Amino acid sequence: MTYLLEGKHLNKTFKEKAKTTVALSDVNFYLNKGEVLGVVGESGSGKSTLLKAIAGMLKLDQGELFYNGREYTGQKPRQTGKFLQMIFQDAKSSFDPRMIMERSIMESGRGAKDPERVRELVQLVGLEEELLQRKPAALSGGQCQRMSIARAFYSDAEIFLCDEMTSALDVSSQARVLELLQNLKKEGRLSAVFVSHDIALVSMLCDRIMVMKDGICVEQGTTTDVIRNPQDAYTKVLLESAERQNI
Amino acid sequence: MRKKKRAKTKIIIVSVLVVLLLLSTVLAGVIAPHDPSEPCATTIRLAPCAEYPLGTDNLGRCVFSRVLYGGRTTIAATFLLVLISFAVGTIIGILCGYYGGFVDKLLMRVADVLLAFPQMVIAIAVAGILNGGMTGAMIALGITMWVSFARLARSHTFTLKNEAYIQAAVFAGKSDFYIILRHIFPNLLAPVLTQALTTIGTTMIGLSGLSFLGLGVVPPTPEWGSMIAEARAYIQIAPWAIMGPAAATIITIILFNYLGDAVMDYREI
Repeated sequence: MTYLLEGKHLNKTFKEKAKTTVALSDVNFYLNKGEVLGVVGESGSGKSTLLKAIAGMLKLDQGELFYNGREYTGQKPRQTGKFLQMIFQDAKSSFDPRMIMERSIMESGRGAKDPERVRELVQLVGLEEELLQRKPAALSGGQCQRMSIARAFYSDAEIFLCDEMTSALDVSSQARVLELLQNLKKEGRLSAVFVSHDIALVSMLCDRIMVMKDGICVEQGTTTDVIRNPQDAYTKVLLESAERQNI
Repeated sequence: MRKKKRAKTKIIIVSVLVVLLLLSTVLAGVIAPHDPSEPCATTIRLAPCAEYPLGTDNLGRCVFSRVLYGGRTTIAATFLLVLISFAVGTIIGILCGYYGGFVDKLLMRVADVLLAFPQMVIAIAVAGILNGGMTGAMIALGITMWVSFARLARSHTFTLKNEAYIQAAVFAGKSDFYIILRHIFPNLLAPVLTQALTTIGTTMIGLSGLSFLGLGVVPPTPEWGSMIAEARAYIQIAPWAIMGPAAATIITIILFNYLGDAVMDYREI
């Protein structure tokens, strides 16, 4: 079976002087079209390393990456950017502070500039067109994050890699961005790998969940299975702490 | 907000004074009452009067006219030198910061070596080898001047290249040249330009210093440093001949330093 995105036996180790850190150890995953895969785990579990490896931002020690069945292992972000886009944690800093939003969004496209399409996408993410003429400093964190979603769509990339994209937002902005992503998913427009330390948030959006600890994927399955019937002790701990936080 | 407004007012006031100063040198041909290079046997070492507002020198030349024309040489040479050093240093700094590697290490070690010696010592040595002249003096000072711009541009590039918006541009398939030109250079321009403004004063001191030592401009071309050096010989009998160019040098340096500081203050608020 051909998946939209697939990773096989991904391994990455960071060596610094005498210290060796295993960031990814034999990690396997897949993503279907129109699906959102959640990657959860504590800080240092390897989830951001996994995202960077998928994006081509760091070189793997071992393993293969596939897009629509074609191997792209070793490709750099300039090439991987044709089919995937990063949505960063700090949306504000992902826009050039000197550029207005319209120009920044149009810059993400590889073809001819299309201001009309930018306006359509900004409406799609629930923002007013006039915000396109503003610089990032004049927008809130939530507005910037919606703009970055619009930018990802403008780039025509099929896969979005979301790195803790709501963690820098306040609760109400977080809810609005989550609602937007849920709507996009319902419309079948969203295929994404969604990295977060918040298992509750991931369970609201993702079709499948991958739990990571110390560079190892300890559990992977559908959201319902992982939430209702966790198999690994670490997943249970994550769920318990999420429940405690909700109380 | 109030602080920012006050800083802005300071910049405007100093800028107006700088523009007036520059205009006075640009319009020297209109303002100057006498030919700055024409000696006159009947007006030797005249004290300031209505006809010669700053007196005359040892060859009977109008000090006021020479100060105005001298400003052209001093200010133009300073601006040109700062501009070239700014351009060369910024390009080197951006390339070193963006690509890193062996060339970065090599150029930064060269910079360290150049910074290990006092700038004026190297400048005097190089100007001496080049037999003086304004071009020689500019090369002599320029050899070390690019370093400060390069180091500043390099450190800013290091920070900028890891910004998420640069990564976003990479994902959009933009070339290194595009990223440097559209994202890195505009975002580091402000601090490097501020550095250029604060360098104008020290460059002027350097150029005037070399001229004072006979390693700069060749007489009879009026230049503030060489005018001070000439008038030094008869300072006790005609002190006004040294006062004019000295005051012009001091005022210009203070104005440009003040402008640089004001811009820096404004940016920091």
